[in-house]
Amino acid sequence: MSLKDKYAIVGVGLTKFGKIPGISTMSFTLQAIKLAIEDAGLTRDDVDGLLVISPVMMGEQHGWAGRVAALLEVSTTFTATMDLGGATPIGMVQTAAMAIEAGMCTVVVCAFGNQNSPAGVPFVMPNLQFTLPYGDVGAIPFQAHIAQRHMHDYGLTSRQLGEIAVTFRKHACLNPEAQTYHKGPITIEDHQNSPMIADPLRLYDCCLNTDGGGAVVVTSAERARELRHRPVYIMGMGQSHSAEVMPPWPAKTEHRGGLKAAEMAFRMAGITQKDIDVAQLYDGFTILVITELENFGFCGKGEGGSFVEGGRLGLGGELPSNTAGGLLSEGHLMGMGHVVEAVRQLRGECGQRQVKDAETCFVNGYGGAPHEYPPTLSYSTLILRR
Amino acid sequence: MTIEKPLPVPTEDTAPYWEACRKHELRMQRCKQCGHFRFPPSVVCPKCTSVEAAWEKLSGKGEIYTFIIVHRTYHPAFNPDIPYNVAIVKLNEGPLLHTNIVDCNNVDLYIGMPIEVVFEDVSNQISLPKFQPLRV
Repeated sequence: MSLKDKYAIVGVGLTKFGKIPGISTMSFTLQAIKLAIEDAGLTRDDVDGLLVISPVMMGEQHGWAGRVAALLEVSTTFTATMDLGGATPIGMVQTAAMAIEAGMCTVVVCAFGNQNSPAGVPFVMPNLQFTLPYGDVGAIPFQAHIAQRHMHDYGLTSRQLGEIAVTFRKHACLNPEAQTYHKGPITIEDHQNSPMIADPLRLYDCCLNTDGGGAVVVTSAERARELRHRPVYIMGMGQSHSAEVMPPWPAKTEHRGGLKAAEMAFRMAGITQKDIDVAQLYDGFTILVITELENFGFCGKGEGGSFVEGGRLGLGGELPSNTAGGLLSEGHLMGMGHVVEAVRQLRGECGQRQVKDAETCFVNGYGGAPHEYPPTLSYSTLILRR
Repeated sequence: MTIEKPLPVPTEDTAPYWEACRKHELRMQRCKQCGHFRFPPSVVCPKCTSVEAAWEKLSGKGEIYTFIIVHRTYHPAFNPDIPYNVAIVKLNEGPLLHTNIVDCNNVDLYIGMPIEVVFEDVSNQISLPKFQPLRV
């Protein structure tokens, strides 16, 4: 039995976010949960399911879900701490729907928090024995390797990547909550002049660093219709997990780059890419938007570069995307920002950046362990409708 | 003061790889059932799930699959090397691995460049496989 339209997102919340020292990962998480529950018009007594993202800084994570629940005195019959990196927020929403369907709980809060410099949590460099000794450190080199290969195979240009950065910044300038709201727009020339980080990726190809939190509330469609906001229904969802770039290749190559994750979501929703009014694409790096557009079927393989030209991803374009500014210009909310913005678009709450009459939104998450060996990635997708 | 570069710490699974590197040999597990060369080291073949494997010596030759030039690093030990390259090379036997290309200017690197392994002794215990343009 398909879960299509049976579950809905009924509450969303983002804490203040940006470079905010002095607020812990736990505090951001709790604040976000409070905001999302209030937004839904519920109280914590209504909540019986809790899903949380495993804190990024290892050392904090043990028993995380249970501690979050305890500090809020939320009485749960279902909790889990999930670890899919930036694919987790959507993974949590999916898990919430499945858990309710299974009868484990009825109202699930999915929450995320992140303090990049947590006090009292020692930073331990992992033993990345096949990359670190060569000076290949972190998530940027991985995507830079992919960008170089894409440029070689398909002729992608840095200016095309710049189009994405410029477009999403423009959107952030219409979002007063965005980290770059006050920085103003950027041009392609600004992108081209931004410092090289890992050639071919420049500073403006890379997302922001963000401290903050976010949460959403998931419940059944029937319950949703009694609540405060117009429900945002889950029409379709999917996941796929794969090793990428490096072998061992997954046995099933359609898992690569989230192909299957998108295919599943569209099949479940019973609509096609052409029916999507607005998209929230996981944009840790500009190059990632290119490969996602291709692998999710919004354009053909190798056509991502030309697809993003001419304002296609901008407001008023064919596929307005990352309308709040995305990870590149709103803030790195690990993909929770994408889910929240999707809901706000479908509720029609987005003011100047509102996509007119938006009825459907495609959202995806991306994460995993691209810096581990072999580099492994998780993609998660949602198709939402009002 | 120079900051020491991080060295690999061999684990139960990877020790034979690093032990071979120390002898300036590039060795990887080859599946005894299906012949697949696998990397990173693992107890089970990702192609056929056989657990029977032998550590075989590779030719050490291959080509650049992709590469980057690092201008900003997140580990201070590499700051003096900026800008430096990191390549992913595809070995003739199939596996890909991260490495640095030595004896070659960064501007001369290209995808498809034929390369061969050289070993850099970075400590008494560890030799890192790096690659240089193939000398014919």
